[in-house]
Amino acid sequence: MPTRQASVHAKWIIGQVIGAKMKKTAKVRVTRLVLDPYLLKYYNKRKTYFAHDPLEQCTVGDVVLLKALPEKRSKHVNHELAEIVYKVGQVVDPFTGKRVAGTQYLEPLTESTEDTEVSLMGKLERLNITASSPPTAS
Amino acid sequence: MPMKGRFPIRRTLEYLQKGEVVFKKSVKIMTVNYNTHGDLSEGARKFVFFNIPQIQYKNPWIQIMMFKNMTPSPFLRFYLDEGEQVLVDVEGKDHKEITNHVKMILGKSDKVLEAEALAKMELSNPANFGPKKYFLRECISEVEGQVPHPGFVPLPKEMTGKYRAKLAAASDE
Repeated sequence: MPTRQASVHAKWIIGQVIGAKMKKTAKVRVTRLVLDPYLLKYYNKRKTYFAHDPLEQCTVGDVVLLKALPEKRSKHVNHELAEIVYKVGQVVDPFTGKRVAGTQYLEPLTESTEDTEVSLMGKLERLNITASSPPTAS
Repeated sequence: MPMKGRFPIRRTLEYLQKGEVVFKKSVKIMTVNYNTHGDLSEGARKFVFFNIPQIQYKNPWIQIMMFKNMTPSPFLRFYLDEGEQVLVDVEGKDHKEITNHVKMILGKSDKVLEAEALAKMELSNPANFGPKKYFLRECISEVEGQVPHPGFVPLPKEMTGKYRAKLAAASDE
């Protein structure tokens, strides 16, 4: 064949890692929306793919982008890990770049100008409040 | 007996076929991150509820995934061929605005769609004859007003080959 074709129809897929117990391989569950012919409603249909993960970076629960390999690596492995989109527990907001948990930001959005290291006593010292002698009642 | 569900019109073929967004060939994956509560995600929620079925109907080969309550702000993310990614902020927008924006950046334009529809019509030209599977009619004899097939209706005597041959032979003499 003059033009090299990928081993499988799906070139790029995104899915959630469900198993990482195999050496250098991640088990990824991919959901696609399939139309029910009678109800005419879309439902998620699952399919598991195996992906080659040479550095074993995946943990169970990561959302992962897979790329089709040009030729089959083994009987079941046709894809490789392109990037980890959302790492479980360490999701990063794409706009601000800060870590996020659900609807809360874990890191403060604006850089605080004051030192966070300085304790309360240190702050009081900086303010230079001294007990001045009470003004003499004139 | 009315249809069941909240907005059952979403589940009609007519509604699905009315979808406007047809993605370009390079778009492979679409990801929607939105929140289940909060006013800012309202547009995104409506988009998922009303427009995602239309988009998936018109683009059966792209993978669409929904993620709920992962980040504080809602957004759409498209993964194109060659690893390219497109991030679309959707916070505070209305679902109609979102569809128009997406159509503008990654959808096929109206002109291209019309040209494709025209090309498809040209393929199925009613002037062509052939097997029933691909064409309308197999033979001109199927058209009303044309000479029917002699297998069904015998031809009038003047049209048969043997009468004409006899006439030709008689006139030659």
